[in-house]
Amino acid sequence: MSQIPTHINFRTNVKNVPPHMPVSVRKATSKFLGTRQAVVDVVGDERWQALRQAGHEIRLHSLTHMDHYLTRLEEKVRAAGGIVHWARDAAEAKQIVLELAKERGVKRAVKVKSMATEEIGLNHALQENGISVLETDLGEFIIQLAGVGPSHIIVPAVHLTKEGIAELFTQKLGVDAPPDPLKLCAIARTRLREEFLSADLGISGANFMVAETGTLVIVTNEGNGRMCTTLPPLHIAVVGIDKVVPDWESVNVLLKLLPRSATGQKMSAYTSFITGPRRSNEEGGPKEFHLVLLDNGRTRIMKDEVTRETLLCIRCGVCLNVCPVYNNVGGHAYGFAYSGPIGAMLSTQLLGMKTAADLPFASSLCGACAEFCPVKIPIPEILLRLRHRAVEGDQIERAAAPAVIQAGVKLGTLSFSLPWLYEFGTQMLKYIQAPLRKNGWLPNLPPPANRWTMARPLPAFGADFRAWFRKRKNERQR
Amino acid sequence: MNAREQILADVQNALHRTSDAPVAAISASARIAPRTPDDANAEMNMLFEEIGKLGGATGRVKKNEIKAALEKLVKEQEVKKATLWNTGELEELGIAQILTELGVQLVSPLADKRAMAECDLGVTGVDYAFPETGTLMLRALPDKPRAVSLLPRVHLAIVSPSALRADLGPAFAEVRGDNYWIFITGPSRTADIELTVTIGVHGAKALYVWQVI
Repeated sequence: MSQIPTHINFRTNVKNVPPHMPVSVRKATSKFLGTRQAVVDVVGDERWQALRQAGHEIRLHSLTHMDHYLTRLEEKVRAAGGIVHWARDAAEAKQIVLELAKERGVKRAVKVKSMATEEIGLNHALQENGISVLETDLGEFIIQLAGVGPSHIIVPAVHLTKEGIAELFTQKLGVDAPPDPLKLCAIARTRLREEFLSADLGISGANFMVAETGTLVIVTNEGNGRMCTTLPPLHIAVVGIDKVVPDWESVNVLLKLLPRSATGQKMSAYTSFITGPRRSNEEGGPKEFHLVLLDNGRTRIMKDEVTRETLLCIRCGVCLNVCPVYNNVGGHAYGFAYSGPIGAMLSTQLLGMKTAADLPFASSLCGACAEFCPVKIPIPEILLRLRHRAVEGDQIERAAAPAVIQAGVKLGTLSFSLPWLYEFGTQMLKYIQAPLRKNGWLPNLPPPANRWTMARPLPAFGADFRAWFRKRKNERQR
Repeated sequence: MNAREQILADVQNALHRTSDAPVAAISASARIAPRTPDDANAEMNMLFEEIGKLGGATGRVKKNEIKAALEKLVKEQEVKKATLWNTGELEELGIAQILTELGVQLVSPLADKRAMAECDLGVTGVDYAFPETGTLMLRALPDKPRAVSLLPRVHLAIVSPSALRADLGPAFAEVRGDNYWIFITGPSRTADIELTVTIGVHGAKALYVWQVI
């Protein structure tokens, strides 16, 4: 993928979802939810809820003091010998990475799975400039070969079968690949091992940045994260400013929440803690360490006190797993790097209403996501606020809904605030509907209301509730 | 305004904060009481049990039986080349010498990464271990190069009871001045292809954890 969308049409995307997508997606989500439940049960509900509350407070505190912690982080990274860059948007971030790579004559880069670099389309920018970029997380490696975006935040290639992957490997890697996960893994291991050893740049994101010491925390399972941040002489981390946390006490809590919520693991196989470049030649590791702090719309998100809590997210993906909408459509329908409820919140705010106004509506507001969220983000509340913004606009963004919807909503608001107008309107509807009415139903309505009647008839307006209520009141008084 | 100033100003505007605004204390409910440890033996059992669940091989090895245990491992994993941490602890156990006696070629842990990648076995100590999750914590220091636990196909870690910590907090407090450390929880794994758990993607394909008694 790596391309930043200019318009997301969720409805059309949903129509293009292949039939096997919900099947494979559900296999992943139900498995993760099962293993998650098992490890949460071991912790015990009381402690788990206390951890969630702590997680929420830590992230909210980090968010509401972000300037303080970013400054502290920068100071500590510098003191450790790292170089800190600041990028207002995707273009600036890509420029910084590109210049660093060019100055050092980088030809081959290896990457750890990172949502921030996906968000800014970094791979595309590097490739356009003649630098080869290889995703090294197995799932990301597969979808990079397939040339598609991730269908799940944790298992990005979950929509592909082992047969499909075998065919892909045979075609693109020119090897004889049998449809056996173990053998396919072995092929990827051999192939990527050589890349790790010869790469001159390792690119990563980070799960957390610890302000207290200037440390990046990177949670992975395969070991590719360690390879990318240990073997190449240059390590560049591109991290959203929202990933900063105050101190080690906070990391302790968040590391209890993240792997359990994400994959149902008590701890992921590898968690790296990186503060600047290597200190001694003997220990190994990159000679140079750069941290690119990325805004790209995050400070705009922070302006709204309700929706800013989107930035508490620790990207575990549990909201995808429990979401009935996501389970039916998979990740691609959301049209951007982030999918599911977090995508509905984050993509909308990062890309803006003009591009992504569809997404806050891609939810049934059932609230399961909020109940599972390890840092207690009030997801339905945020989605409602974004729907409001999509239709009516506010100080942060202009409305993106079509004029007819906006006019309808304005008329609705007006009539609800003036009882006489409301009553007049409902009385009028009785007469307006007359030509369309058939046996107490409205089988065909003109656009845009035909979206409803294309699927099912609408009951005709009776407008007799108020009359009935008045009559009842009078009867009681008598 | 440069990007740094702009971002910090935008953050402060959004939060209605100023540079000299006080930082509120982190509330007590954002802190979690550490886990209460059992006795050292039970903690070690728990650590081994958790690592076992993840596909690691654990065991208690008597000091005079290290050679036999290593011989078995070398045979099982067809180890021809090995590398190890330069620490006094491993030296005292005579691991390097035993491996040489077993006909294994030793590669310096300071060797080039390609030479390290050719090693079948990497032997390290363990700086801290967390029983609750089956996690080993390894620091990176001149005598503890990072690649020893990363590039060889098999990783053998020697853990002692003094490394056990009930929770992450105390270990973080002790090493916070370091520039690098790693948590290792079982061998390298992925479920990226049809959710089939596959061991040994990029990191160690096999993890052995021994306590020498």
